[in-house]
Amino acid sequence: MQNLKSIDLEKILYHVEKPGRYVGGEHNQVLKDWDSVRSHVCLVFPDIYDIGQPNLGLAILYDILNKQPDILAERAFAPWHDLETEMRQKHLPLFSLESKRPLAAFDIIGISLPYESLYTNALNILDLSGIPLLSSQRNSEHPLIIAGGQACFNPEPMADFFDAFVIGEGEEVTPRVVRLYDLLKSSGKDRSEILIALSQVPGVYVPSLYEVAYAQNGTISDVMPKFSAVPSFVTKQIVPCLPPHPTKLIVPNVETVHDRLSIEIMRGCTRGCRFCHAGIVNRPVRERPIDEILQIIEDGLTATGYEEIGLLSLSSSDHTQILELTKAVYERFHDRKVFVSLPSLRIASFSVELMDELRELRPGGGFTLAPEAASPRMQTIINKPLDNAVFEETVRTIFEHGWLSLKLYYMIGLPGETMEDVQAILDAGKRVLAIGRQLRGNRVKIHLSVGNFIPKPHTPFQWYPLNSTEELQTKLDLLKEGTRRTGIKLSYNIPDSTLLEAWLSRGDRRLGQVILRAWQLGAKFDAWGENDNMPLWRQAFEDVGLNPDFYAFRERPLDEILPWDHLHTGVTKAFLRRDLEWSKQGRTRGDCREQCYACGILDAFGKVRPVSPLVYWGCP
Amino acid sequence: MIDQQARIRMTYAKIGNLRFIGHLDLQRLFERALRRTNLPLKYTQGFSPHLRVNLASALPLGFIGEAEQMDFWLEEPIPLSEIAERLRVSLPKELVLKDLQSIDNQKPSLQAALLSSAYEIVLPSDTNQTEIQTRISDLEAQPALPFQRRKKTVDLKDLIISWQLSERAGELILKIEMKSTPLENGRPDEFLSLLNIDPADCVIVRTKLTFLEE
Repeated sequence: MQNLKSIDLEKILYHVEKPGRYVGGEHNQVLKDWDSVRSHVCLVFPDIYDIGQPNLGLAILYDILNKQPDILAERAFAPWHDLETEMRQKHLPLFSLESKRPLAAFDIIGISLPYESLYTNALNILDLSGIPLLSSQRNSEHPLIIAGGQACFNPEPMADFFDAFVIGEGEEVTPRVVRLYDLLKSSGKDRSEILIALSQVPGVYVPSLYEVAYAQNGTISDVMPKFSAVPSFVTKQIVPCLPPHPTKLIVPNVETVHDRLSIEIMRGCTRGCRFCHAGIVNRPVRERPIDEILQIIEDGLTATGYEEIGLLSLSSSDHTQILELTKAVYERFHDRKVFVSLPSLRIASFSVELMDELRELRPGGGFTLAPEAASPRMQTIINKPLDNAVFEETVRTIFEHGWLSLKLYYMIGLPGETMEDVQAILDAGKRVLAIGRQLRGNRVKIHLSVGNFIPKPHTPFQWYPLNSTEELQTKLDLLKEGTRRTGIKLSYNIPDSTLLEAWLSRGDRRLGQVILRAWQLGAKFDAWGENDNMPLWRQAFEDVGLNPDFYAFRERPLDEILPWDHLHTGVTKAFLRRDLEWSKQGRTRGDCREQCYACGILDAFGKVRPVSPLVYWGCP
Repeated sequence: MIDQQARIRMTYAKIGNLRFIGHLDLQRLFERALRRTNLPLKYTQGFSPHLRVNLASALPLGFIGEAEQMDFWLEEPIPLSEIAERLRVSLPKELVLKDLQSIDNQKPSLQAALLSSAYEIVLPSDTNQTEIQTRISDLEAQPALPFQRRKKTVDLKDLIISWQLSERAGELILKIEMKSTPLENGRPDEFLSLLNIDPADCVIVRTKLTFLEE
């Protein structure tokens, strides 16, 4: 297939906003000779370049696939409205940034689905590529359409549109899928044979090979593989040891979010916060050794020229060598004129100490802490206990060490929450402000950022209903009223904006029709608050004849078959039930590095655990 | 102290996809490319140090630049050949290094010294030579060429220094030189609009920057 006549594209680009998003050609881009490889993969992040390009997961797969001599990987992103309009008018298909080829020319299209609000964009991208949206409508002429990412731990709402999902970590599975697909295709296997073969790869879920039956009340009565060769459940895949980190990262030519050298220093988290999806699905904890991290920074800076480094993990202060790391980073890189950001720090004076080690390398701006809940009762329910003395000591240390602004993340709508618990958030904010003013005067700024809790699949809270819109609004009103004229800045989400994520994250595959209908009605860029697509989504539910409240506001019985039960994270449902019970009893669960609570991870993955003491796993 | 700094003037071409990168993005791109060279670069003082780079003139989005210029500073002098070698490795393929010179620190900045820009415009293939010649002559005959630029009106007549229509390998080429001072900056795409030609249908190349002589 021909690549796009460049002149057509150039003429269009002349008239769109920020055309640099669409042309590729960045430093460290990989452009392989199309005919020199067997398999052509297009990696897609279904939002605009500015949001998608910095995604580290995409960079990791791009690096791994392009290191294979027989595979090439290129990139594509969602075009912004202006370019989409032009493309549709001129019948120009969506193209890859590297070779400007239409997506339909690739063998495999791999779409990243890290969160639910990208679903309509994923559909739009297939449509702009001239590829039928429904897996059942595609044939061997079309590319294989697969997805991966954190939202794929419950991919059911997107089951109709994808041929396969990679559940869990894609580093090892993805090249395997690409090669197997090439082998099957070149040996003349038809599409259904290919899908059955793919379903036998550990970690690959082919939704069309499962029959879902529903009971009278709308819940699932059974999920059955259609063929005996298809496994009855799929367990996520993990890499036993974090693979080499990409260092030749693409340096965007236009400004993006998180425009820096991002380095994953640790995967997983041992703290066991009960609301946290990432904390469950990314187990076990695996650390990257400090020497390796330093080498990645060295190589990464040399290869990219970045002026900022982001050391990423779910809980940075829990890395066993974090103090040594910050010291070494300062020693080695303080004369390189770089900033180092270290997000996701625990509430402890130790975290301030870590930032102090970085001294002038830390970026300007405030300090951020995430207590999530303010009352001891709520903290126990969510298993994020926080001693008030420790909290205040940490806050005091932050102000004493020079910060003037402090941002605090809280959630409302948590299970069992009362107005007193919400009031506690307000009280905490005021206490923190008083401490700050006492130490640093009126320049101190406190920012309360309040999110709405959304129950997530695979967590101990997966059975809970979402707070009603009225409840959330009452709680927000209390916070808004209470922060007025206090000098505390409050940011929050309107209750309606959480509904979409609530519906889709615990949805079943019947929601595919709703997503399709919403997209047909014009929903896209749902992650962008500016275009409120809520009326379109409500209309879509109505058109399809499904009740959205069934998905958001229903308390699920503990014995209900949940849409994602056949997709295993390694953490057992029995453990989740037990942890829910503990939450109700007011019992907290300690850091699982200290003591194993038998969540199931070691049963599922113990056999691949590296024996080398140099590879750190959080499990005891 | 200041005399120790080496001021390096780079002439470069901006071609291909990089035509679609705007001025601020280009500046950041240069900063990162320079950092990749590992040369002893000069940074601004202060809490948030920035690389000291100075681009002569913003090239509008979509234009090719054949001889763009920028200055950057080093903490100490380094042989130009070595700088060139490192830059060739670190620059994106579509930013082509053309020339490097050492420049006296006392000389005025590129922006302050810039007088005019010369452009070569390949007109759309369906352009009729006689017709376009007539249209240009018509424009020339008018006392002023007002053009609405955002909120203010500029007179393009004041901004055009010279123009010339020619043919090359079957293509119609409009050469035009326009003022490029901080106060008066001509844009050839505005002139094309007056000719009812969509700039997007043309290839517009800035061929030369002319500076104030000492």
